[in-house]
Amino acid sequence: MVKHLYLWTVAVAAAAMLLICGCGREQSKKLIMATNAAFPPYEYVEGKEIDGIDPAIIRAIGGKLGYTVEIHDMSFESVIAAVQTGKADIAAAGITITPERKKQVAFTLPYMIAEQVIIVMGKSPIKRSQDLKGKRIGVQHGTTGDTFVTANIQEPERFTNAPLAVQALLAGKLDAVVIDSEPASVFIAQRHDLVRLKEALTYEEYAFAINRENSALLKDFNAELQKMIDSGELKRIIDHYKESHASEQSSGSVNQSFAGRLKESFYLNFVKEQRWMYLVRGFAVTLEITFFAVLLGIGIGFPVAVIRSAADQTGRFKLPDLCCRCYLTVIRGTPVVVQLLIIYFVIFGAVNIDKTLVAVIAFGINSGAYVAEIIRSGIMSIDRGQMEAGRSLGLSYTQTMSLVILPQALKNVLPALGNEFIVLLKETSVAGYIALQDLTKAGDIIRSQTYDAFMPLVAVALIYLTVVLILTGLLGRLEKRLKKNE
Amino acid sequence: MSEIILEVRDLVKKFPGLTALNGVSTSIKRGEVVFVVGPSGSGKSTFLRCLNLMEQPTSGEIIFKNQNITSGKLKINKFRQQVGMVFQHFNLFPNLTIHKNITLAPVKTRKLSAAEASKRADELLKRIGLYDKQDAYPNQLSGGQKQRIAIIRALAMNPDVLLFDEPTSALDPEMVGEVLALMKELTQEGMTMIVVTHEIAFAAEVADRVLFMDKGEIIISGTPDEVIRNPENPRAKEFFSKVL
Repeated sequence: MVKHLYLWTVAVAAAAMLLICGCGREQSKKLIMATNAAFPPYEYVEGKEIDGIDPAIIRAIGGKLGYTVEIHDMSFESVIAAVQTGKADIAAAGITITPERKKQVAFTLPYMIAEQVIIVMGKSPIKRSQDLKGKRIGVQHGTTGDTFVTANIQEPERFTNAPLAVQALLAGKLDAVVIDSEPASVFIAQRHDLVRLKEALTYEEYAFAINRENSALLKDFNAELQKMIDSGELKRIIDHYKESHASEQSSGSVNQSFAGRLKESFYLNFVKEQRWMYLVRGFAVTLEITFFAVLLGIGIGFPVAVIRSAADQTGRFKLPDLCCRCYLTVIRGTPVVVQLLIIYFVIFGAVNIDKTLVAVIAFGINSGAYVAEIIRSGIMSIDRGQMEAGRSLGLSYTQTMSLVILPQALKNVLPALGNEFIVLLKETSVAGYIALQDLTKAGDIIRSQTYDAFMPLVAVALIYLTVVLILTGLLGRLEKRLKKNE
Repeated sequence: MSEIILEVRDLVKKFPGLTALNGVSTSIKRGEVVFVVGPSGSGKSTFLRCLNLMEQPTSGEIIFKNQNITSGKLKINKFRQQVGMVFQHFNLFPNLTIHKNITLAPVKTRKLSAAEASKRADELLKRIGLYDKQDAYPNQLSGGQKQRIAIIRALAMNPDVLLFDEPTSALDPEMVGEVLALMKELTQEGMTMIVVTHEIAFAAEVADRVLFMDKGEIIISGTPDEVIRNPENPRAKEFFSKVL
């Protein structure tokens, strides 16, 4: 029995390794840029493309140096780590030069002097930076504003991107938001009820971050950047994006009926610029991750359950059983987000690997632990007389297990298994942590463009709900069909 | 009735905190029908379950067809294909049809081809009058029907010996008769049978030999007359006076 299980496990592992290696494609002269594309006008998603000041500069310099630029979108907290671990060659995300960051990465010449400014609602009593003390202050996690407020004022409320913080301000959940002046002016242009305080909170210099060991790239890059500064090309790029963004006005008018506003909001969030395509593509990614993670989860959970049960029933297979127990303890004892981040940044830290595959592996390994325990409980629920009857007829342990015990056990645990897959579908919503554009992240992207929380969130929730309802229905029918055969 | 098919030498089975069998020895000839009786907890079922290694004996030897099956070198599945077992709770496979319950083991152990096994299942089902139930599932049958199916499921493997572990104890009284009738038929066909039961009257009627067990030991072994009807041993006398 166990021999077969070993083969099985080895085969699965080998297949996974092949997949991983297959994805670690090496191509010469590719420059991978890490960014957080929710920081207009520096970087933002426009259709399928990521555009903005930073991508434009990197593309221009990359082109001159003979690179093709590939942009990876991730959370702002991750872009420096991506450069450090070699997942990206350069981080360009409106990054401020700070002494702490200088210890971790090398910075290029600054390309921008930016101010951290304070945005408040029009009727706010906050008029100066001194008024901030004791108020609810929102910042983008990991930004200079975050560092400055934390060090000099108080603990701020940290958001994963600037639009979220501004939304919280608009919703009355914050008194002020501290962000870079450029995105601030975009927000102000779009929402007339927002005010930017004249006095800036602090100043800072923006630069690109490069791995400290990659001094060749740093030297070449700085040379080209200096040329752009001298020729005025840099200023042209920055002005171009600032202007085009400032001209984009929000269409939100106040004097409309609820239905009218809803209709307009629907148009803005889904129809305009084909934003519904984000949801479609995100939905596809979510389904893809879930489907393959379910397969991997079953592939892992099944043998683990059988090894654990066999060890319990026969007292043999001590070592494999111990391994299975460790696996179950670790996976069930840690949050799936942490597992996902560890697998992406630590285990595959040094390999260039497809993020969808990372997600499939992480969620599959996670789900496998739960599937294993569900199936094991199913096996344990079968009367031991069944095993005895099979063995008394001369069938082997494996034969009895696969022909008699498992079919009954699976039928018993089908509702629990179905529930696990539903949970898994929803758990994949944290895939955005490694910058995968799944369904939840798609909603985030739309929000970051339209500054509307309601429509995208409700749409995303409805899509999840629909899939869950369909899955529940299908499982119910399957259960009914299996019940007949008894 | 000459060849010894199963020989048990000084069999001991200990469970944590309990000695279930305390040195049991006997030998069973081909075609012999042996009934094992005695009070609850006397070790009858443990004895029976040791015979096909459902329980691993603590010490002692079991010789089956001149082969020591307790030596540890045995191919246990090959051995069990020659020794059928009928359980108190039938233990039919609820996920399989009656027909599949019967053909599963002969086919999977390659004892018979699928066609041969199917033919044999048909014969056996016709014999017990349940041919029309072949596509039913176990839970659609009565207890008596289930137990008779369990018996022919064991028979389908053409075993040398059939072990019965209290085959009628879980049945409603009106179903006991049909199961006993089938067992009686088998005794008349010369099947070697070892039966653990509380049906003392039935034992007295069909047994070639009766073993009376108490406290993990065989107290008396003899014909039904010697053991059941006119026992000399005081413990046996007391037991049979209560149950008959």
